[in-house]
Formats: sequence, C-alpha cells, structure tokens
Amino acid sequence: MSDDLVRVAVDEERCIGGGQCEMLEPEVFLLDEDEVISSVIGSGELPRPRADVVVHRCPGAAISIVEPQRPSE
Amino acid sequence: MSASAASTPTLAPEIADPRLYLDSIPHERFAQIRAMPGLAWHPYGDNGFWAVTRHADVRAVSRNPKVFSSAIGHTNLWDLEADALEARRSLIDTDAPDHTRLRRMVAGAFTPKNIRRWEDAVREITVELLDEFMNQGGGDWVDMVAAPLPIRVILSMLGVPVADADYLVELSNYLVEGTSDSQSLPPDAFGNTTELRLLPFNSPASHALFEYGDEMRSKRRAEPCDDLVTHLVKAEAEGGRISRHEYRHLFHLLVFAGNETTRTAISHGAMALAANGDQWQRVLDDPGLIEPATEEIIRWATPVLHMRRTAATDCELAGTQIAAGDKVVMWYAAANRDEAAYADPFRFDVGRGDNEHFAFGGGGPHLCLGAFLARLEVSVLLEEMAARRMSLEQRGEPVRVASNFVHGVLSVDMAPGGNP
Repeated sequence: MSDDLVRVAVDEERCIGGGQCEMLEPEVFLLDEDEVISSVIGSGELPRPRADVVVHRCPGAAISIVEPQRPSE
Repeated sequence: MSASAASTPTLAPEIADPRLYLDSIPHERFAQIRAMPGLAWHPYGDNGFWAVTRHADVRAVSRNPKVFSSAIGHTNLWDLEADALEARRSLIDTDAPDHTRLRRMVAGAFTPKNIRRWEDAVREITVELLDEFMNQGGGDWVDMVAAPLPIRVILSMLGVPVADADYLVELSNYLVEGTSDSQSLPPDAFGNTTELRLLPFNSPASHALFEYGDEMRSKRRAEPCDDLVTHLVKAEAEGGRISRHEYRHLFHLLVFAGNETTRTAISHGAMALAANGDQWQRVLDDPGLIEPATEEIIRWATPVLHMRRTAATDCELAGTQIAAGDKVVMWYAAANRDEAAYADPFRFDVGRGDNEHFAFGGGGPHLCLGAFLARLEVSVLLEEMAARRMSLEQRGEPVRVASNFVHGVLSVDMAPGGNP
C-alpha cells in the first residue's frame, strides 16, 4: 500500500531554486538552468513515502502530491 | 511581547551573553529551555525574544515566513533603526517576493548539478592543503586547512584572484568580530566614513568589502568573464533585475558566508574526528559513510547558532501567544541537539540516518544558498583524508570566538596521526 505511486507537482511561484528536490530525487526533478525553477521531468511519479520526504524538505513549500484523479461525476 | 499578555511566560535562562559561548555552546541551558512548556521568554536589551529551541518549533517558524518575517525587523537579536535596517538589508533580510527574485539571481550557481562541476577544483585545493599540512607535521588546522579551503573555492566562483584571498579572509575575520563583544578596528579603518550602525556587523570591514566588490564590478563590466560577479553585473545591466545596493550586499554575503561557515564546519569536524577515533575508523572502513559523515559533521558544527524572525501578526506557537512585532529566535544550535528529533543527539555518529539537521536553516525559504557547496567541500576533504589513511590528533584546546551568533573557531592545533 505504502509503495503506491503518486504524482508530484511544483508550484513555480513558490519555488526558490533551493535544489533539495533535485538532490533527493534527481530522476524526477530538474532545476531549469536559466530561471532556476524546479520542474517535474518524466512521469513525475514517486512511491508515496519518498514523495512525502520531498514535500517535507522543500524549503519553499512548492511541491505537492497530486492525488489520483477521480472520474468526474 | 505585548503588555496585555494573558499570563506571565516562562523565563529562559541567559543564553544571549556571548561569554557563555567561549568554551562551548551552553547546551545544558538549551536543554532546560527545550523542556519548558510552550516557548520561553528571554529578556534582552529593552525588551526580549521568544527562544525557539525545539526541532519541530524551529521548523514551524522557518517555514512560515508570512507570519515570521525576515524583513520587518533585523535578523540578529538586536534592533536596528529603520534607516540602518534599510542600509544593511541583504538577501537574508528579505521576504518574498524580493527574496525569491534575489535568490533566483544567484541560485543557479549553487544547484546540486552546477556545484558538482566544482568537484575537481575543490579536490585540487584540498590535496594541496592536506599535503602541506602533512609535510609540516600539522599545525593550526584553521589556518592551514579549514579557512583556506572554502575561501579559495568561493573566490574562484566569484572570479576573485587568488592573490587577494588573504585580504578577504582578513576582512571576513573582522566581520566575525563584529558579532562578538570585541571590535579591534577603529571606525575609520580601511578609509571608512560611513556610520558603523549603517554597516553589516557594525564593522568598517564591511566598507572595505563593499569597495572591493565595486572594484570587481567595474572590472567585469569592462571585461566580462565566466564567473558569478559577471553574472550579477549582467543582471544589473539588463533592465535592473538587481539594484546596485543588492549587488553590493550579495557580494558581501557570498564572501562572508562562503568563507566563515564552512570553515567552522571543517574546524569542528576535525575536532570531532580527533575525539571520536572509532567513528573515523568506520569511515575509513566504509566509504559509503562519507555522505552521512558529512551531514553529521555539519549538524555537529552548526556554524550559525541562530537566526531571528519578527512576528508580522499575532499568532500562536507551541501553545504560546505571540504578539505582532515580537522577536522570535530560532536556535539551530538547540534544535540540532533535540532529543525528540535525534536518537542520542550528543553522540557524534557518522552513520546517522535521516539526519534532517538545521545547520543550513530551519527548513524554510532562507535555506543556506551554499548548502551543496559546503557538503561538497566537507565530503571531498573526508575522501582525501581517507585516501591518505590519515587521522587527526588534537594538540591542546581550540581558541574559540565569543559569539552567540557564529560557532567560530579561530585556531586549533592538529597533528596528522598514523596510518591505521
């Protein structure tokens, strides 16, 4: 259950380019060279415990977990 | 603290007196404060501050910059008059959106990927310093290794000639003095004519550092290079993305912070390795421990002991009511020894897992810009020491800085030990 994959997203307004996400999960986050803003590369999927750590450690509180989409009613 | 505070707060034992820090951080007093209910109030000057000492509470303050502002008051314990606050304002004393804009201006040079590009340069300098240290049979570790390593790296990044390194180390040392009770410089040193209260650290050395930065700026304007000063000069020229004032203060901050803090980590790290031979032996036996050992050294050293915030609104923390305008001081030195956050926090453990220490700040947006550079410098040093099977023996007590703000070491005599 805890190995469920979740998707992560970056709020560009809040990103300070601190690089914690790129340090922790270099396969998922990349800091843009010019703007120094983090963005998600690839599918942006991580096991939930690892996603929680990145969210916890982001100094700008810019990373969030995107809950799996529910079918619209 | 508002006069209408509902109840009398618990009073913290004295922790602001710089003399308390001469032998070591007053850890027993911090442990006492951590154990007090809510937040303890610490009288200081005409008023006082809330002493935030628990790991979780430091994090809560650091990560809530809208409530706990870096801009509306000074980030050191004492207050500044409004004009001095403006005159001295650097990246450290800003909130979003100014902080985000300024930070992004320089953050690109300090990302994990871009810092890794400096690994060879860091190694080259480290090898040279360690070889000299071993050839001399040891000596003052601060002077021979801990101080020159970070300053030479940050100056290379900025584009400052190596020949000027000693001068900038000297200026940086005078700035540290400004955080203690003893200032040895006359107010007009280095041709300074600015009132000291308008200068960072109240020090005429700040004037000299500004002047040096201005000189660099002129040189790079005339002849751009591939360095950080050129990058900032371009940002200033291109539509004023950075002001003249901001440039001067960024240059000042990069020189000071890039020099003083990692020097402290490397000094305390060497003493910890000398005192805990078993821990160094673990690293020698298992190179996989270089990374956690680096984090542990940085936690152990906690080069910056605290930062202050000022409450922008009435709020509550740890069950304590805080009034708008109150000073709220995050004691990283205390949080990094919090029993609730670390198993056996007073044990130096190179294998410590999940080491979310607050030596680079409390987890919020003012996260140390040079965190990855500091990690690189410490880890390359450990790698090169391990490659030489080199251990350290401390000869005598260190000379420490009497400061409640930086955990500085002025000198410590070390000898290279045998090859285990």
